[in-house]
Amino acid sequence: MSNAVEIRDLHYQAGSFAIRDLALNVPNGCMYGFLGPNGAGKTTTIRLMLGLLRPLSGRISVLGGSIPQEAPRVLGRTGYVPEQPHLYSAFSIDEAMRYHAAFYRTWDWTWATELLGSFGLARSQRLGKLSKGEMGKLEMLLALAQRPELLVLDEPTDGLDPVVRRDVLTALLEFVSQQNATVFISSHLVHELERICDWVGVMDHGRLVAELPMHSFKNGIKRLHIASPPAEPGDTPFVLLSRERTNGDAEVWVVRGWQGPMSQYFDGVGATLRDVVDLDLEEGFVELLRTFRVPVQEE
Amino acid sequence: MFRAMLRAHWLWSRLFLLVSMLAAFAAPLLMARGFSARNQLGMFGWALDAQREYGFVYPLLAGAVGLILALTAWSADHRGKHIYALSLPIPRWNFVLLRFGAGAVLLALPVVGLWLGALVASATTVLPASLHAYPTILALRFGLAAFVAYALFFAVSAGSNRTAGVFLGTIAGLVVVQILLNTLELDVDILGPITAGLMLWPGPFEVFTGRWMLFDV
Repeated sequence: MSNAVEIRDLHYQAGSFAIRDLALNVPNGCMYGFLGPNGAGKTTTIRLMLGLLRPLSGRISVLGGSIPQEAPRVLGRTGYVPEQPHLYSAFSIDEAMRYHAAFYRTWDWTWATELLGSFGLARSQRLGKLSKGEMGKLEMLLALAQRPELLVLDEPTDGLDPVVRRDVLTALLEFVSQQNATVFISSHLVHELERICDWVGVMDHGRLVAELPMHSFKNGIKRLHIASPPAEPGDTPFVLLSRERTNGDAEVWVVRGWQGPMSQYFDGVGATLRDVVDLDLEEGFVELLRTFRVPVQEE
Repeated sequence: MFRAMLRAHWLWSRLFLLVSMLAAFAAPLLMARGFSARNQLGMFGWALDAQREYGFVYPLLAGAVGLILALTAWSADHRGKHIYALSLPIPRWNFVLLRFGAGAVLLALPVVGLWLGALVASATTVLPASLHAYPTILALRFGLAAFVAYALFFAVSAGSNRTAGVFLGTIAGLVVVQILLNTLELDVDILGPITAGLMLWPGPFEVFTGRWMLFDV
């Protein structure tokens, strides 16, 4: 499977914030959830990906084009919804659509008009007077009506009420079902990505912590309740993310890459595996960040 | 794309453009009226002097038109930290050129306003035999001055606040140094040659200086 986005050895610095050695792959046609806490570097990575910022070093390829050298060509096939509203507030919705359409050969007026209706937006509304939700819908409309091959969404539903969020996500899913496009969606709203994404990348402190298919991420991270655990876990067949003593000699372990037959490991070390609990994406995300941050804090 | 850019710039600056167009139309008419009134009283020399004295209105208006159009070219992008402009599928130099071109085209409105005003003023004023009206030359000169001001301020406002700060800071610094030198009674003139270089031919601001007269010999 080829990749819609490939990033290799990316370095970027702005003040005290840095992105170091970033490598990222977004497979063609997937919905890639880009997770990370606030300040992790998600927006910066997106801006680098689209050629809005210049890296210190490294290679970025988007839709087969090298960034930033071929950014204009790539941007013509990419829809982008930034974190903060960026449109010209003096425009009306109609003017904003006309202005935007002038730059995209693939602009679809029919679909733009349909979306306008389904989002409940009026052409004459001034952008400066739009609510946050209406602005979010307009940004999504402009990105979708381009009929892009790649859709890059930076926290598209952040701060939107549940109704607007549902409208936006419905339009997004409709677009994906119609067109075999790649969607790169950044968010810290983990539950939202859990429902719609098939790949996930987790970023923290300017580094990519994990990148794997969503099913591996969801199914592979477990909470194990163990009685009489070993003092030193030794060579485990899974990745031990964290361990915490509960009561008595029991412990709770959070592990990654878990599979059923691995329970034999505990027999070998004289421990008893009492329970295996599935973690949802948010719990897995939190555990992942917690283990990632330990060495960082120790540095 | 250019039409979209032109339309956007028009939306941002239409109010000012309409006002400046009206002002540019009215300026030669008002001056011609004053000229006629004095001329009818037989004060031909005074009429000409008054016209010369109030001629500063034209370069002032040209400078203001250039400044405002340049500021409106970038203010919306500054507010959005240029994210929208940068995310459009067009090379940066091309975007800047389109923006510049759109503003330059809009400059034509006050220029046409002044030209029409000057034509009407010329047609309705009885001139002494030794004088001629120069409506087209006045309008062209006004257009050139507005374009020079627009180009300068466009370049300054296209940059970041820091760039604008460096530019203005350099000017302020030179003025402060000159004042210090004068206070210390040192016979060093820094501003003189710079001003002369800019304001005298072939300096870029020469167009703002000299006689701005609709009626001249």
